[in-house]
Parts: sequence; structure tokens; C-alpha cells
Amino acid sequence: MRLARAYGRAMWDARLILAYTLLLSLTLFILAPFLMIALRSVGKGWFGRLWLPPQLTLDWYRWAVEVGNIPEVMKNTLIIGVIAVAVSTAIGIFAGWAFGRRQMPGKEVLMAIILLPRMIPPITYALGVAKIFYTLELVDTYLGVALAHVSVCAPYAILVLSATFEGLDERVLEAAGVCGANTVKRFFYVVLPLIMPGILASMIFSFTHSYNEFTLTLLTYGPHTVTLPVRTYLAVGDGYWEITSAMAMLMVVPSLLILAVIQRRAKPEKLVGGFKGV
Amino acid sequence: MTDVMIEFRDVCKRYGTLVANDHLSLAIRKGELMTLLGPSGCGKTTALRCLTGYIRPDEGRIFIDGQDITDVPTHQRELGMVFQNFALFPHMTVQDNVGFPLMIRSLSTTERAERVAQALRLVRLEGYESHYPRQLSGGQQQRVGLARALVYRPKVLLLDEPLSNLDAKLREEMRFEIKEVVTRLEITAVYVTHDQAEALALSDRVAIMNRGRLEQVGTPEEIYEHPRSRFVAEFIGLSNFLEGHVQAVDGDIMVVSVGGLQMRIPALPNAGQGQRVLLFLRPNEVELLRPDDPGGANVFDAQVEKATYLGDTMDYRLTFGQDMTLRVQSDAQRRFGQGAPVRIRFPRVRCWAMTSG
Repeated sequence: MRLARAYGRAMWDARLILAYTLLLSLTLFILAPFLMIALRSVGKGWFGRLWLPPQLTLDWYRWAVEVGNIPEVMKNTLIIGVIAVAVSTAIGIFAGWAFGRRQMPGKEVLMAIILLPRMIPPITYALGVAKIFYTLELVDTYLGVALAHVSVCAPYAILVLSATFEGLDERVLEAAGVCGANTVKRFFYVVLPLIMPGILASMIFSFTHSYNEFTLTLLTYGPHTVTLPVRTYLAVGDGYWEITSAMAMLMVVPSLLILAVIQRRAKPEKLVGGFKGV
Repeated sequence: MTDVMIEFRDVCKRYGTLVANDHLSLAIRKGELMTLLGPSGCGKTTALRCLTGYIRPDEGRIFIDGQDITDVPTHQRELGMVFQNFALFPHMTVQDNVGFPLMIRSLSTTERAERVAQALRLVRLEGYESHYPRQLSGGQQQRVGLARALVYRPKVLLLDEPLSNLDAKLREEMRFEIKEVVTRLEITAVYVTHDQAEALALSDRVAIMNRGRLEQVGTPEEIYEHPRSRFVAEFIGLSNFLEGHVQAVDGDIMVVSVGGLQMRIPALPNAGQGQRVLLFLRPNEVELLRPDDPGGANVFDAQVEKATYLGDTMDYRLTFGQDMTLRVQSDAQRRFGQGAPVRIRFPRVRCWAMTSG
């Protein structure tokens, strides 16, 4: 009897160990490329079959900043990001209001069309964008690249803000009207504060998408509008793995910052619904 | 005309083929609490929303204090309104919610604070200034709603089923509170509800609506005692209806044949022989007698079909005459069991002439 119980416990322990091993392997498997790049960005003389780099250095980062012109590239990326966020959120507010508040025929079809840029292969869509932008001479301008980004950022903004507007209580707006607020005051004192969480969520979504966007940038950028993902990709072509790794690591920093802010301050999934009444 | 505060003049509102307000004409006096009462879909809410300006009537005009406000936008109508779902501003504190109408009217901060404090005292919510609506109970939220509606002394207070979202006990409490506040401020109030008990308890006058039309307007007593139609009688209180026809008219008394029995009731004006009538009896207006009690005018034999004990009253279903049933409520002191033979007397019977057909 005691033997049986001991056997059972051993089996249980074995199972637990197995589960942990598997989970850990999976985590390592997912993290491996990232760890690889992280190590490479600070390693020196890491050739052959060595497990770890023999020497650590920050030289590659200096190279990345000086030769790779990262500050300039970062500036481009941020300017494009800000324009994309502003345009997408503005579109999101108007379209979200229409989708969330109005009963209109063909709402679903319209929504499907708006989501289309996310559904078809990015390169297909990007080719079309590039073709149009060459004609309009929008290629290699901040506005041009940002507008290309809007095509993927705006659908998120619209989705998020539609949900926010749907959650807005009609009666609360009516109450504001009865209280004496005209349309403008109603918007600034009641509607705007109530949809603010949705606007923030949509801005976060839009910015991360613009910041990470690669395909659309690749087909619309020029010498003056190189963004971080494109710069990193180009550096790979030049063959300097260490410097490229350093760039890639630098690129992660703002993403981590945003992630930290989101985790601390707000949960995007909660922001989407906006303020709820009771 | 000077004592009329609100007037609906021939107001019509249609939604496609549905007529929500069918030539509604109603005058509400200054300082009066008028209830719009009716089942859902009777047009009472549409009427209220025409008053707030949220809906524009297709035809007719609406006046407040002698001024035609049919085309005045909502925010210029100087109304106060209490909503069924409270409709407080969730992102504002109680202080800011109540102060909102004052802020919109650009009152100074000190005056605003003073009047908010006054309004909160009126609804007994002092000390909750910095709470957010979600931190308050339903009753407290509705008091905030009331304070917000009253804080700038509007000419008219509108209440849209303000108690429907509260539980039964609180509802009764708030009912008296609203009545007291409205009476104390001598404000004209329009109260929309589907709850007849609420309407009877609160109102100076009740307007009963049915399918977009006014059925009857009167004090709660008039409406309960002298309903003008079967709809009103059915909607307010419990009622029995019996169909019959006039057999003979004898001065101011007429003999009506109902289910094989003869009843003597006050004659209808210009009632003739053969006229079909609808008799109407409240369950507590039927006297229950022992089967051996002496008979007389309007005394009939009946049998208890079902007896239900309700605490202070007994609720009976009786059968009498030819297949007639009657609901009777009487004192629980004297009880009759199921199947017991009884005698019933009708001391008072009201009736309407029915249009033939």
C-alpha cells in the first residue's frame, strides 16, 4: 500500500518535472532568437562554435549610432509615428462615432472594407500604395510614409473607438442637453472625457503599429525617411551582424517603454470600453 | 390661460404607420404634478421627449409658460429631468454632476458651490460631494439625478420612470420624497410611469394614455372612482366587468339583465330598452353575505370557486348566475371555504353604454 502511494507520488513528481521542462524549453525556443541578438550586440570575437562570446563590448552600439545614424533614423520613425497616430485617431473618432452611434445600412460591409488592408498580404497592398505614391510624389516624405502607415493603423483606431462609442449612454448625452449644454459643450464636457480612454487605447495601438511597420515603409521610404525597421534590415544587407544586432536592440527599447507604461498605468483591453455608467 | 404652464396643442408623432401621439392636447397647470400613465407603447414617453425637444412632433405645437417651444433646441428649454437609468455623468463627482447645469450657465464658483450644497441638502445627500456615481447605491444615484434636475430652479421638472430601476421598498420611500420635494418647491412636474400605484400616490392629476390617445385626465380619485372607459377601469385597480342589456327603465332606475339575473342600477341618461351595457364592479365593492341572510334588491346566490388568503384580506373567485365569475376581496375576519354557498350584494354598480355590435 505504502509502495503504491510512493509510486503515485513519484509519478506525480515526474509529471510536474516533465511539464516544467517542456514549458521552459518552449520559452527558450521562443526567446532564443532574441537572446541570440542580445548577446551578439555586446559580444566581441564571437566566432566558430563558442557557446558564449569571449569578450563583452558596447562598441557596436557606438558604431550603430555613429555609422548607422540611429538618432536621425529614430527621429524619422517618431515623426512618422506621431503623424500616423494623429491621422488615424482623427479618422477613428469620426468613423467610430458613425459605426458606434448610428444605425446605417451596410455597416458590416463598410467595416469589412476598412479592415481589408489588414487582411490581404501586406506586400500586395504595399505595392498598390507605392504605385499611387510615386504618381502623387508622396514617396520619401514624412506625410507619405505616415499615410501608408495609416492604412494599417486606422482600422485599429476605428475598431477600438467604435466599441467606445457603442458604450456611450445615449441618455447621458440627453441629460447634458436638458441641463443646458449645446452640442459643442456637450462634446467637450461629456463626450470627450467619456471616450478619452478609447482615444488613448487607439493611440497606443496606432503608434506600435506604425513603429513596427516594415513592408509598407520599405516600398514608400527614401533617403530622408529611413525608419528603424528599414535601417536595421538594410544593415543586414551590409553584412555587419554585430552592428545590426545593436540596432535591433535599440529598436526594442521604445517598445519596452510603451509596454511598461501600459502594464503600469492602464490595461488597453479595459480602455477600449470607455467609462461605464454604474 | 395664465395658470397653465405646459400645453400640448394637437401634437402628433408618427413612426411609419405607428402613431405614437395621436392629436394629443393636454394642459398642465402651474405647480401641478401631472402623471402620464399608461402601458408601454402608449406614447407617454414620446410625449415627454417632445417636451424635452429630443423628438420633434410631426404636427401641433407645445407651449411652456405661454411660449411656443416646439422649435426651441433642448438646451434652451430650461428644463430639469430625472431619468430612469439615472443618466449621471460617470466621469464627474456628485458635486460636479449637480453643479453641471450651473457651470454651463457660467455661474461663479462660490455661487455654484452654495447652490449645489443647497440641492444636496434638499435630497439628503450632504457629505457625498466627492463620490463618483458608481460608488453610490441606486437610490442615492437617483437623488443625485433629482438634485441635478432641480439645482438651477427650472420651470418644469420632468421625471421619466424615475423609480423603475429601484427595488420595491426603496421605490415607495423615494415616491414620498419626490412628492415632498416637488410640493415644497412648488414646481410644475410631469411624471411618466406605467405603475398605477405610483401615479395614484403622487399625482395632483393623472393623464391616462392608450395607443397614443388620452383616455382620461383627472385627479387620482376621479380616475379611480369614475373611470370613463373600460381601459381606464382595467388599468387602475382591480375590476370585474359584466355584460348585459337594459330590460326596462323606471325613472332613474333601470333593470339590467345580466347572465340570467336582474339588477337594478341607476339609469344611464337616455338609456333605452335593449341597450347593451357594461357593468363594472371593484372587488371590494361587493358585499359577501351568509347564504341564510335575507335576500333583496341586487342580492344573488353564488358559490366560492377559489379562496385565497392574503393576510389582511381574502381573495375569492365566485361563480353566479349563468357562468359568470366575479373577483371579490373582503375582510379576512369572516371567511368562506372553497365550494361554500354565499350570497352577494351589489351596493354600487357603475356602468357604461356599449355601442352596439
